[in-house]
Amino acid sequence: MKSIAIIGAGIAGLSAASDLSKKGHKVYLIEKNVEIGGHVAQWDRLFPSQKEAKIVVDELVKNLNNRAEVLANSEVQHCEKKDNKFELILTGNKNLLVDTILVTTGFDTFRAQRKEEYGYGIYENVITSADLEQLFKKHNVVCKTGNPPKRVAFVHCVGSRDEKVGNRHCSKVCCVTAVKQACEIKELYPDCEVYNLYMDLRMFDRHFEDMYHEAQSKYHVNFIRGRLSEAGENKDHQVVLKTEDTLAGKPLKLTVDLLVLMIGMEACHSQKSLNAKLGVRSDTDGFLSTKDIFTQNNFSNTDGVFFAGTCTGPKTIPETFADARAAASLVNAYLMS
Amino acid sequence: MINFGYKRNESATLDLDVDNSELYKKMLEEEPSSATCISCGTCASTCSAGQFTDFNLRKIMLLCKRGDTQSLEPIINRCMVCGKCQFACPKGLNTRHIVLILNKHLNAGKIS
Amino acid sequence: MQERLANSFDPFVLPYTIGLVFILTYLFIALIRVVKALPNDDKLKLLKHIFSLKIFKSGWEIFMECLLHRKIWKKNWTLGYMHTAFAFGWFLLIILGHLEVQIYAPHRLNLPWYPIFFRYFMMETQSTMQGAFFFFMMDLTLLYVLSGLGLAIFKRFRRKAFGMKRTTKLRWNDQIAVLALWSIFPLRFLAESFYSEISGGSFLTAGVGSIFHWFYDFTANEIYVRPIWWAYSIALGVFFIMLPWSRFTHILSEPLFIIMRNAGIREEHRNSGYGKVEIYSCSRCGICLDPCQLVSVASLRDSAAINYTRHLRLWKSEKAHQAASTCLMCNRCTQACPVGVDTAALKLNTKHELVNLHTTDQYNYLNTNAGADLQSVPSSVDVIYFAGCMTHLTPATKLAMTKILEASGEQFRFIDEEGSICCGRPVLLAGARKSANELMEKNTELFNQTHAKTLVTSCPICYKFFKENYDLNMRVLHHSQYIQELLKEGEIKVNPTAAKIVFHDPCELGRNSGVYDEPREVLKSVGQLQSTAYDGEESLCCGHSLAAEALPYRKRRVMSEDAVEKLTTNNPDILATACPACKKAFSETNKVEVKDLAEIVAENLV
Repeated sequence: MKSIAIIGAGIAGLSAASDLSKKGHKVYLIEKNVEIGGHVAQWDRLFPSQKEAKIVVDELVKNLNNRAEVLANSEVQHCEKKDNKFELILTGNKNLLVDTILVTTGFDTFRAQRKEEYGYGIYENVITSADLEQLFKKHNVVCKTGNPPKRVAFVHCVGSRDEKVGNRHCSKVCCVTAVKQACEIKELYPDCEVYNLYMDLRMFDRHFEDMYHEAQSKYHVNFIRGRLSEAGENKDHQVVLKTEDTLAGKPLKLTVDLLVLMIGMEACHSQKSLNAKLGVRSDTDGFLSTKDIFTQNNFSNTDGVFFAGTCTGPKTIPETFADARAAASLVNAYLMS
Repeated sequence: MINFGYKRNESATLDLDVDNSELYKKMLEEEPSSATCISCGTCASTCSAGQFTDFNLRKIMLLCKRGDTQSLEPIINRCMVCGKCQFACPKGLNTRHIVLILNKHLNAGKIS
Repeated sequence: MQERLANSFDPFVLPYTIGLVFILTYLFIALIRVVKALPNDDKLKLLKHIFSLKIFKSGWEIFMECLLHRKIWKKNWTLGYMHTAFAFGWFLLIILGHLEVQIYAPHRLNLPWYPIFFRYFMMETQSTMQGAFFFFMMDLTLLYVLSGLGLAIFKRFRRKAFGMKRTTKLRWNDQIAVLALWSIFPLRFLAESFYSEISGGSFLTAGVGSIFHWFYDFTANEIYVRPIWWAYSIALGVFFIMLPWSRFTHILSEPLFIIMRNAGIREEHRNSGYGKVEIYSCSRCGICLDPCQLVSVASLRDSAAINYTRHLRLWKSEKAHQAASTCLMCNRCTQACPVGVDTAALKLNTKHELVNLHTTDQYNYLNTNAGADLQSVPSSVDVIYFAGCMTHLTPATKLAMTKILEASGEQFRFIDEEGSICCGRPVLLAGARKSANELMEKNTELFNQTHAKTLVTSCPICYKFFKENYDLNMRVLHHSQYIQELLKEGEIKVNPTAAKIVFHDPCELGRNSGVYDEPREVLKSVGQLQSTAYDGEESLCCGHSLAAEALPYRKRRVMSEDAVEKLTTNNPDILATACPACKKAFSETNKVEVKDLAEIVAENLV
């Protein structure tokens, strides 16, 4: 029986774990957090179908059917390759000897405090897209005062496409998420005015343009092409936004009750130290460097170490699943050879 | 080409078939970062001068790229060169330098 | 001691004499041109200084700096020894030479070559105590100079031994001058050694002379060693002729520079005579290279102060402008410069020559009615707070300041809460002086409408300009100073914490305004202030200076990251600063928690 260690029990890790265990391999699923399911488990509903995130995670867990050994709350401390096998030491001095490793460490969300001019952590009514999902889950989308917001603005590209914070990449999913969340706000509060401040609206995949269409035709969401330069707070703790309506060509002022920052995806903050242990590399943007971007996107430069999911760059959930399945079949082929 | 009967109003059109890219080329040469603007509008939004006048760096750079430079002459030096836009710009453009370069070429020789 | 030759002249003195005449003529013409180029009020200042007692102060400074090189000693004693050996040693040789002529052949004092080639023209008939003393002194001094020469040669090949990572490259003109200078003293030493049996000598020349004699009797065949006097004279002549065309021009210009500086002359409007003297006073020693972060971190060697002055000397104004517009004006170079060349003022003038931003009433769109709000500030308001435009991009600082001002119980008004116009210093730093003046007038009018006694600002750039250039009828404080005052007077109280804090002095607040202590006192009261190798005058630039309008962002970023790394070697919890630009620069690196000191105080208010 061959064995495999999957690092990261997000949706990519869970999906690959169930595929590989079904093939009869021994799978160890290592997760640094207590809970499995990664970022998706923290989300309420998913674009483009509004399927509940919880259902997706539950399906994955059900598919896995306890065939894998889940090692939650543990991290890789040490890794050494010995005669085509990998010896892993985890936190708590647990030792594993596996034939192959699949890295599914995913991403970290951008720490919104770093854009100080947007006031996250400074003004009470500035939240992130991840915070908003928590509020959706609790069915409690309100301002700090407890009142429902009458005006909400979403700021796209927070921590993405931003040289100043060192993230030159587009995080791919925030535009669509912002449109999704804008519609959800309107669903909750039909009278609420919703504004989306975008740089470029990247509705690139199937059904996404329909979401945009619905946001306009059904929900009357306002789209303003302009990036927020700075936010202030007035005496009523409303957030005062400064941007330029670049299509109108004029500076624009906007006061809202709730400001949502669409935080982007960054390479996992602990990726670097893990890379050193596994002997794999990151690119300058921090995401893992694959053997070939077209044909060998699941291969690392170390034989026997594979990648899947957003650790190799921002992906949507369907893309992540496709990537995880591809990796699982490649890992299986590697183990059988 | 068949002339339909009405003439195109030249001043209302950005005519890219006429080469008027001299100023943009100079700007690119002296400040290469000016090529990387994504027209997000952060500079115009944060601009102190823009709160009082129609000075808009994003628009100025865009018009310069499109070769429509005449309208820029009278407004380019409304900028206070404070540098706030430079700090806010997500692309790290040297916005102050761009203003100084454009001003140098647009208003050369006619300033006190 | 008596004259050996009836003829007081020998053709070999010609190269030296021609060189001397050349350099004196050059000096005379240059002096006239420099003084002529000075604005009239500066000429008056110079004249007043020369005919006042203060000239003795300048004289003392010239002695201490040009001859003894006090500032170089302070930086590095081996470098100091080397420079002093050349300058002071040579000076002593000249003085002693003249003294000898004065004593033994006073009627020859009118011949300029006589003191220099004294031992060729004189012979020692009997040794006297007095003669022995002079010979001993001369030999000792020569040895002193030769030891300096040894160090100089060593430094050329092993500069790291002198604590210098970088030094300047010698161009052809400098190479000739250096070669001439280096050969003067060994040649003199050889010439005097060969002639020591005729002219006399002391431990060095006589000692070595007798060794030479052991091989061959040169005294009897003088003709064979006469060419050494020729070589010595040629070396001197070449050095004199190369003086104005090499780095050694500073030997001539530095004394004048010191006098002019002490006379209170500064470059303010354009680069005039003073600027010229200042440029030529740069000795191209290269001491400013290591401190310059553009050179040491961003690999922009062409922007270093030393290369800027070089471009100016060679009339390469385009290159000089490029160097000026990438310069951070952090003034680390001036702080290190042993001559005290202040290139910041010169660089502003260089920019000013090319930047024509100003038109009459350039900012006429600024309607002063916008200040109606300020007119309505009640007279009970003592303190007006001006965050500064950049501080609006670091809102935590302005919120902290509001919190502190509220806690102090002081009547205050946050006057630029809704935004403001620029103070004018950034546009001045870009070279547009008149534009800056216009903004300054508009702001002054607004501020003076209030009855406030104190203007507090969070931006060191605004602070420097308000304080030094504005004519305000209130005192100007940076928020670090104001907070320190509030703490001292007990208007606010803070809980001390165990947080380890490192303070970064912003260039505009520290080196350029001299505010070092107040921020540190504030931080000591709220946390454990750690010192670094970059405290106070040694502080680094964050890289985001507004002066360097042409410096690419990625170069700035490299400097920010390097500065953060250097400042956090002791793993502080917080990297504190007091400038929105520094704060932005450092937080962008995402390596350590960066806070303005106002935030730390506001968080820990009792």
